[in-house]
Amino acid sequence: MMLKPMLVVVAGLLAAVAQAQDWSGQLRARVEDKTANSQGPVAAANALLPGFAATPADASALDVELRGQWRWLNAAAALHHEQAGRSSAVVNELYTSGGLGNWQFSAGRKLVSWDVGYAFRPNDVVAQEERRTLLSSQIQGRPLLSAEYFDADTAWSLVWVNPTHRGHERNGDEQALAGRVYRRIGGLDAHGFARWGEHTGASVGTALAWVATESLELHGSVRYARRADALLADTSVTGLARSAPWMDGMRSNITQALIGLSWTGESRISVMAEAWFDGNAASAQEWRNWNARGAQLSGLAGRAPAQALAGNLAWQTRGFGGGSSLQRRNLFLRLSWDHEGWTPALDCLYHPADGGQVWTASLGWQGDRLRLDAGVRRYGGPAHSVLAQLPQRGQAYAAATWAF
Amino acid sequence: MKTTIASLTLALLGAAAHAQDVSALLKAADRFRNGSDVNMQVESLVTLHGIDGSQEKERRYTVFVQAKHQSLVLMQSPAEKGQKVLMLGDDFWLLMPGSQRPMRITPMQKLLGDASTGDIATLSWSEDYTGSVVGEEKCGDAPCLHLTLQASRKSVSYQRIELWLGKTRHEPIKADLYVQSDKLAKQARFVMDKGQTLVTEMVLQDQLSNRKETRIRYVSRQPRTVPDNWLNPMFLARNPSLD
Repeated sequence: MMLKPMLVVVAGLLAAVAQAQDWSGQLRARVEDKTANSQGPVAAANALLPGFAATPADASALDVELRGQWRWLNAAAALHHEQAGRSSAVVNELYTSGGLGNWQFSAGRKLVSWDVGYAFRPNDVVAQEERRTLLSSQIQGRPLLSAEYFDADTAWSLVWVNPTHRGHERNGDEQALAGRVYRRIGGLDAHGFARWGEHTGASVGTALAWVATESLELHGSVRYARRADALLADTSVTGLARSAPWMDGMRSNITQALIGLSWTGESRISVMAEAWFDGNAASAQEWRNWNARGAQLSGLAGRAPAQALAGNLAWQTRGFGGGSSLQRRNLFLRLSWDHEGWTPALDCLYHPADGGQVWTASLGWQGDRLRLDAGVRRYGGPAHSVLAQLPQRGQAYAAATWAF
Repeated sequence: MKTTIASLTLALLGAAAHAQDVSALLKAADRFRNGSDVNMQVESLVTLHGIDGSQEKERRYTVFVQAKHQSLVLMQSPAEKGQKVLMLGDDFWLLMPGSQRPMRITPMQKLLGDASTGDIATLSWSEDYTGSVVGEEKCGDAPCLHLTLQASRKSVSYQRIELWLGKTRHEPIKADLYVQSDKLAKQARFVMDKGQTLVTEMVLQDQLSNRKETRIRYVSRQPRTVPDNWLNPMFLARNPSLD
């Protein structure tokens, strides 16, 4: 978007929020320095033809987030401007909402997030919120109609997601009916979930969160789905392919499960640990096949046309975007300390199947209105591990956020 | 034998009367903090001060205090706008504006953040503590009663409180607040309004780490009973208008 239309959008949003009964927002300046990986399919493609495959780009950007409420209308919008000149404006939420007794109704683009985990949420079947983000930001809701019933201890929710979408849309964009029932039983939160998608069919799940002691919270989720969208490798292809050897497919009889705990001590040190199984991720055998194909392609160097080989190597990266997790078995550990407005934190995601690791160290400071964040994330593990072959080796970031 | 039974009966009656005295003293002290209403809306202004007295942060909160240990804290300052903490007896949830998933938090996590929500939302001792009168002491020039209190629930922020009340009217004067491990966490003093009828400010000095001072000023109090579903974490996750 060019600057003039951008300013018109900004002025329009500012005028709208000025009318709002209740509004808030934040302005954030951030810089990101990304390090390209020297191994993996992207590095191999670029070794053959420098600049052939896109590598992670550094960014300096300015983000504005606005949220307002006016009578029955709710809106959340984000404006984004990069130093490189690109700008965009996104309406993340715009919906009308009202109630009648214990019933609540909503219609429009709205964020509906469910489930109890931190790093993995199999029952987040409506929003499918991003997880383990470096900087928290608004996410975009989905078009929906919802009816909900609340009393003191119980909640019933029925959501018609993407009501105008056709059945062939994939990855959460299909038309679906989703339901949740919640019940508070003393120190225990119990949730039940069900979803029926136009082409993925039925899935059911449950989640529990329980405060066991004054310092310890335990949580867990499980979900079973008849079918789920997946990007599958075409294993019939050997040697150079003429088109990307990947196809949109489905996995059947999917189980996803998570267990986790959070502990906070008197010293304000917190520990979070989670372990999960994601049956919709590629299996260890699929990754072995993927590694074998990568080795086969690398072996063709000097014997095959460089452009075709570089293209085939770059297509290998499609495997990184195939599901909600890269590996089926995952372990996550996070340590943090809340100390006089400062929050240093260190976390690690570990893949037992191949030893892949993601380490993130961060430091946050919260002032009166100003918040500062900085950190580094590093992907690594043995050379054959999936995480060690991502296009990006690491990332450093810093951000200053002003709340208004 | 008769003498022993009589002595025991007298001792038990004495203990019961003493406990009743403490309960009455705490109820009287509570009235200086929350007026005579059980269900209230309290607007609080919290300022955090450095060791040199300079103001570092200012936070505004709306607190709905309801019967049966139920409270809802709405964060109103720009840096925290949209955050909510729901406290239902021993159960707590944190709601963040960017997410619609209420997070179950432990009593210990309730202490995290700029100001402890337990300090902001708790206006009653009589429902949460039992104890005894240690004796009569001097608080400045005035005579006061020294009470030692033990929490009757595990989830309250402070497991032990040493409390000093005015001898005649039983208004709160100062308190030492101890956490689970029996460490002195904070020292509190209470500032009364001009008419000496209500506490207008609670000043807390951190004793565990930084010696910084937190001043909680009660800007307004009014009777307010909120609908049942406002105290359902899933309802709050919808970001409803709570006016």
